[in-house]
Amino acid sequence: MAPSNPLANWEKLGDSFYRKIPVYDAIFEDDVELENYIVAGAPYGGAIALYRDESKPIRLRDTQGSRSSVDVYSCSGKLINRINWEQATIRGIGWSDKEELLLVAEDGTVRRYFGLDGDFTSFSLGSGAEEYGVRACQFWASGLVALLSNNQLIAVSKYDEPRPRLLAPCPEGEVSSWALIPPAHTLSRSVEVLLAVDRTVYLVDSTEAEDKILQDGPFKHVSVSPTGRFVALFTSDGKLWVVSNDFQNKLSEYDSKSRVPPSTVSWCGDDAVILAWEDEIHLIGPSGAASKYYYDGRVHVISEFDGVRLLTNDTCEFLHKVHDVTEEIFRLGSSSPASVLLDSVDQLEKKSPKADENIQRIRPSLPAAVDSCIKAAGHEFDAYWQKRLLKAASFGKSALELYNSDEFVEMTEKLRVLTALRDYQVGLPLSYDQYLRLSPEGLIERLISRHEYLLAIRVSDYLQIPADRIYVHWASQKVRISTVDDEAVCKLIVQRLEGKPGISFEVIAQAAYDEGRSHLATQLLNHEPRAGKQVPLLLNMEEDELALDKAIESGDDDLVNFVLLHLKSKIPLASFFRMINTRPMASALVETAARDEDTELLKDLYYQDDRPIDGSNALLSEALRETDPQRTAEKLVLATRLLSDSKDPTVILQQKMITEASQLLKVQESLDKDLADRSEFLGLSLNETIYRLVRAGYGKRAQKLQAEFKMSEKTYWWLRLRALVAKRDWGELEEIGRNKKSPIGWEPFYNEILGAGNTKLASVFIPKCTTSNVSERVEMWVKCGMIVKAGEEAQKAKDINTLEILRTKASGPAIAEIERMINQLRPRK
Amino acid sequence: MAPLGDADHCRDKARRDLLALLEGTRGKKNLVISQELAGPVGLFVKFSVLQDYGVDRVFLLENANIDSSQRNVVFLIRGEKAQHVRIVAEQIKRLQNNGNVEHEFSIFFAPRRTLVSNAVLEEAGIIGDVTIAEFLLHFLPLEQDVLSLELDDAFGDLFLHKDPGSIFHSAKALMGIQQRHGYFPRIVGKGDNARRLAELLLRMRKELDAEESSGLADPSARGLLPSANTESLIIIDRDVDFGTPLLTQLTYEGLIDEYVGIKNNQADVDTSIVGQGPAPQAQESSKSPQQPKQGLKRKIQLDASDQLFNQLRDANFAIVGDILNKVARRLETEYETRHSAKTTNELREFVSKLPSYQLEHQSLRVHTNLAEEIMRLTRSETFRKILDVQQNNAAGSDPVSQHETIEELIARDAPLKHVLRLMCLESCMAGGIRPKDLENFKRQVVQAYGHQHMLTFWALEKMELLQPRSSATAMLLPATGAQPGTKTNYGYLRKNLRLVIEEVSEKEPNDISYVYSGFAPLSVRLVQCVLQKPYILSLIKGGSPAAMINTASAASPGWLGFEDVVKSARGPTFSIVQKGDDKAVRARQTLSGNNTTKTVYVFFLGGITFTEIAALRFIAAQEAPRRKIIICTTGIISGDRMMDAAIEKQSFAKVE
Repeated sequence: MAPSNPLANWEKLGDSFYRKIPVYDAIFEDDVELENYIVAGAPYGGAIALYRDESKPIRLRDTQGSRSSVDVYSCSGKLINRINWEQATIRGIGWSDKEELLLVAEDGTVRRYFGLDGDFTSFSLGSGAEEYGVRACQFWASGLVALLSNNQLIAVSKYDEPRPRLLAPCPEGEVSSWALIPPAHTLSRSVEVLLAVDRTVYLVDSTEAEDKILQDGPFKHVSVSPTGRFVALFTSDGKLWVVSNDFQNKLSEYDSKSRVPPSTVSWCGDDAVILAWEDEIHLIGPSGAASKYYYDGRVHVISEFDGVRLLTNDTCEFLHKVHDVTEEIFRLGSSSPASVLLDSVDQLEKKSPKADENIQRIRPSLPAAVDSCIKAAGHEFDAYWQKRLLKAASFGKSALELYNSDEFVEMTEKLRVLTALRDYQVGLPLSYDQYLRLSPEGLIERLISRHEYLLAIRVSDYLQIPADRIYVHWASQKVRISTVDDEAVCKLIVQRLEGKPGISFEVIAQAAYDEGRSHLATQLLNHEPRAGKQVPLLLNMEEDELALDKAIESGDDDLVNFVLLHLKSKIPLASFFRMINTRPMASALVETAARDEDTELLKDLYYQDDRPIDGSNALLSEALRETDPQRTAEKLVLATRLLSDSKDPTVILQQKMITEASQLLKVQESLDKDLADRSEFLGLSLNETIYRLVRAGYGKRAQKLQAEFKMSEKTYWWLRLRALVAKRDWGELEEIGRNKKSPIGWEPFYNEILGAGNTKLASVFIPKCTTSNVSERVEMWVKCGMIVKAGEEAQKAKDINTLEILRTKASGPAIAEIERMINQLRPRK
Repeated sequence: MAPLGDADHCRDKARRDLLALLEGTRGKKNLVISQELAGPVGLFVKFSVLQDYGVDRVFLLENANIDSSQRNVVFLIRGEKAQHVRIVAEQIKRLQNNGNVEHEFSIFFAPRRTLVSNAVLEEAGIIGDVTIAEFLLHFLPLEQDVLSLELDDAFGDLFLHKDPGSIFHSAKALMGIQQRHGYFPRIVGKGDNARRLAELLLRMRKELDAEESSGLADPSARGLLPSANTESLIIIDRDVDFGTPLLTQLTYEGLIDEYVGIKNNQADVDTSIVGQGPAPQAQESSKSPQQPKQGLKRKIQLDASDQLFNQLRDANFAIVGDILNKVARRLETEYETRHSAKTTNELREFVSKLPSYQLEHQSLRVHTNLAEEIMRLTRSETFRKILDVQQNNAAGSDPVSQHETIEELIARDAPLKHVLRLMCLESCMAGGIRPKDLENFKRQVVQAYGHQHMLTFWALEKMELLQPRSSATAMLLPATGAQPGTKTNYGYLRKNLRLVIEEVSEKEPNDISYVYSGFAPLSVRLVQCVLQKPYILSLIKGGSPAAMINTASAASPGWLGFEDVVKSARGPTFSIVQKGDDKAVRARQTLSGNNTTKTVYVFFLGGITFTEIAALRFIAAQEAPRRKIIICTTGIISGDRMMDAAIEKQSFAKVE
């Protein structure tokens, strides 16, 4: 085949060139009358959706016209799917970045079709939309904005969890056109909308509608450039303006000389604007320079970020700006190094020495020339020129001593992939830049949704990216369409996927289950390595017990809780308990959750499990929560009742203590009645009660309580001591001191009283501290300030050293005393 | 640029993630945060920074005082807490109903959005009205060598409620480390929960391998190999060694924690002790707007940024006074140089140092006051009595002789936590308390502190902190250990791992036992069994502890050599090797060189005390530079916090 002229489709527009590349021809059958359809194309050379324009007359003999449907084609005109539509009129049709088709009905229902197979999820835009009706919709990579007939705007910014949000209310008036600015290009980082109302344009975001104060409206079209930096406005008198995004500068103006506003105003890259009428296209460059194309039939414009696709019945073309590198090489009369390098290849083939001369001439810039050739090859659609350019690069490379060939190698790989995709059978006419943005993973997704499994696997092998999703999708599809019995399908799938990493059997099983083949689903699930993943499906399949086990196995407490929550509301309590009974983790989680939320469940559980102590404790905690003493008492009685008739010592102790608790509460109630007007004793501990009684001077009652509750003497004495000290009841303490014996010894008396500052009384107890040794007692006396007494103690023990120390501490007459004692002890010489 | 340490990495990531989330909500917003997250968030981002990102005011979830002052309201809570989610739902509904402002609500779940929280929000009917995001918050760096999940309830959840949530959380966090450095080549551990954690790690690795290739997952996570610069992960289950944290911690930081309480590296100290703080406290206070009213408290930052504290923290309290004196003297002489400064140059030099002097001076004043206050407490009679009982129990003398002291403490109304700690300590160390004595204790405690504490005892028994001694596990079990694995046999281990070392020097410690003045934490001894085998062997043989520390070899990995001894500690023992593709491992080793420092991660599941951290740092110092030890944990624990998990908070007394 003769090489096409690389300049064939170039068109000069101002300073730069644009070229229109025919990608496919003979696209639609002749009976598809494009002028009667609304056309929406997915970005990155994706699928095209056709929907019959209801405002256009329908020819009666056209049988399809009676039934409404959305047809999805590939760019090369292959019918991928036909989606029947029986809802309200479609007001918006668009695509997301992931090639999900979005259909918005007049009543605000949005359907999101993913995977091109006709599977969809749907959500509503809210009651506002229902009431007023959707007028139109605009879409961006991951969201949409709907304009209602009352000029209200509703934005949805992600489809996974759609949350329709009202934008700021905008002024009354006739909306002549509008456009959205995707979140990536706005200051607020959320979507904003340009609304041409009456003579001006408003910028609407979630909080306010800002009037841009223009005078020359109404604008028939508003369009935002792919980078969001420029806005194109089409005035009613047929002029196209390009302004900066802040509406401060008018950058260019072009007069279309047409009274009829174009059907489409769209950006072609960031530098040029396309105006499309029925069969006429104007391409307007930065300075207002224009070039025009004419067609035989209706032409549709599908915008990409780096150009536009033009679609007619016969052709699919890609119109874009010629890249600098390409221009540099191919422009007529170009003498750039890269162009010379390309020329050398010709010379080389002719075996002409000029090849070498060329190389020598451009030697200093040879590396750059090689780079340019590689890049230019990427932007070329024609295999002949791709090869040519790569050959030139290869030739130039060989003349270089040191050159990193990675880019060259990668480019060859990418070109192979691109070529495979552009084949009309596949119909993904990606440009090089689009491919980079789409990413290899995104590409694989697209191949999967077109069921091009083999190609997808080859590509993923070739680019070394994981292929598991392809296998999973294949298997799910297999499950859906295969008619052989479950065992065979399962065997086939497992065999085919064996040893492949990362296969999610859960997804395949889900597909099987959705298809109604639950037996197959269970079988497939067994191959899923991630326990957690199996749970939701198992729950759906009513395999409750299995789901619970798998959740426990995963170790994820949330998952277990979720399953439990689900089961609790679904199955009878008794079988619920039975189920968790053998699973300690489950019952622990149930208990924990029930403690906060559902004590009744807890009590039932303990009853069922025959755990009387736990049961009584649950009642005890309820008793603690009660504010009414009467009810507290009742709960306590219930608690003891649970524990009766047991021989287990722990149970007996428990019962005893609960009885004691209610007994104490009763006593305290009567104390409150007798001694205080308000609740003073109720709820205190026994010790605290006795302590307060003693402190308040009700010693008798305290003693009675001690006996009643069998409190140990020791404890009682301690309490009395502390209470009396706190009361500063020295007389009573002295009285106690007359006792012969104290169960707690007398040191505590000394310590506590000394701590309260009464040294005199404290000293009374020193002689009684018989368990203390001499030095301790000396210390005790000293602390009371009674040096002489301390001396006597030391003297008794014949301890001269201590006496010597005491002498230094003594003052006044005490000195003499101590001296005397020392002298007495000194051995006479 | 050298890669960031784990601590810095965690901090940076948490900060970046949170700020990105906040940025996602446009305009000014009010932030509602749950109490348990407020502290941790302060560890990695300052309030002023939050303000830069549009946060107007911060509310605590528990106070339920969020108002309509801003249109945007952002909630930050833990997704695992269904209770909190419910509160959030209530507050959102309240705001929706009464306000004339149309609010935009966002909920950030840390560390993950759970199915249960979805269910709760759905039930409340607001799931469609809120923006929900996940805030991946796992390890928080307390120090360069301490990573904590800061899960306040982990101890209670694990041992009382038997809720394994924190194990899952830990596993996720450790997976994060593995994804950064490669797999731990070896996982060594002790204890039931530790085992479960290790199994989860293996399972998650398998799942990750399975998931790895699935589509758009982070390509850097693919094909993980055993790490070349990590040596191992050592997991110690808290219930292997309940005894240690029940003892009163005797390092400076430990004692501060015991008496003042340290939370997220901060201690609230009474101003009567440390004086009024410097002015810039205002910010802090606006962060938690409802300061407790009783007594003025001042927040003291306790971390390595305070050099003096860094010097003091791990020292035994006995020598803290000395260090403080020394520093005071040095400061004074340095300060005095101003008089000797003659030339202008010298003067200028002095002036330039002035701010750092002042800073040091301030910190000196704070710590002197704090140390004095603690000193006062340690001199008290009760403290001495408690310590006495503890030391006797730790040393293994007959516990019954201590009962009188405990009873006296009860009668004297000593704090309940202290009393319970002593009982639990006895139960742990001696394999239970005689049923009759236990019954006695119970009755006395219930009478002294209220009958609600029947529930406390029930909880303690469920946690196996306090148990009646069954006849089978007779006191001081025979040396072989009757039923290995069900209970830690301190009697046996005390001898065979030399837990008690009486001649330890507090000033120049030569063994980790300095942290409890003569008792080595069993948990850390176990770590030593893995890392410092020759040292332990020489200890057991009775050599002086100073002998040979550094002849350690990596030749015997895991528990090798100690399998029999560690059987006497509770729970299973395991040592798992995570293998990778041999060739790749070798290639990586050659690439990274062989003589680099290897990191050992020590994970304490269920909490770690400051004394154990000090002991591990002591080991780390000995092992440097061959090894680096990074301490990971679910949270900081102390005996009091263990008791808190069990103690029943309600009482029969009605507050009016």
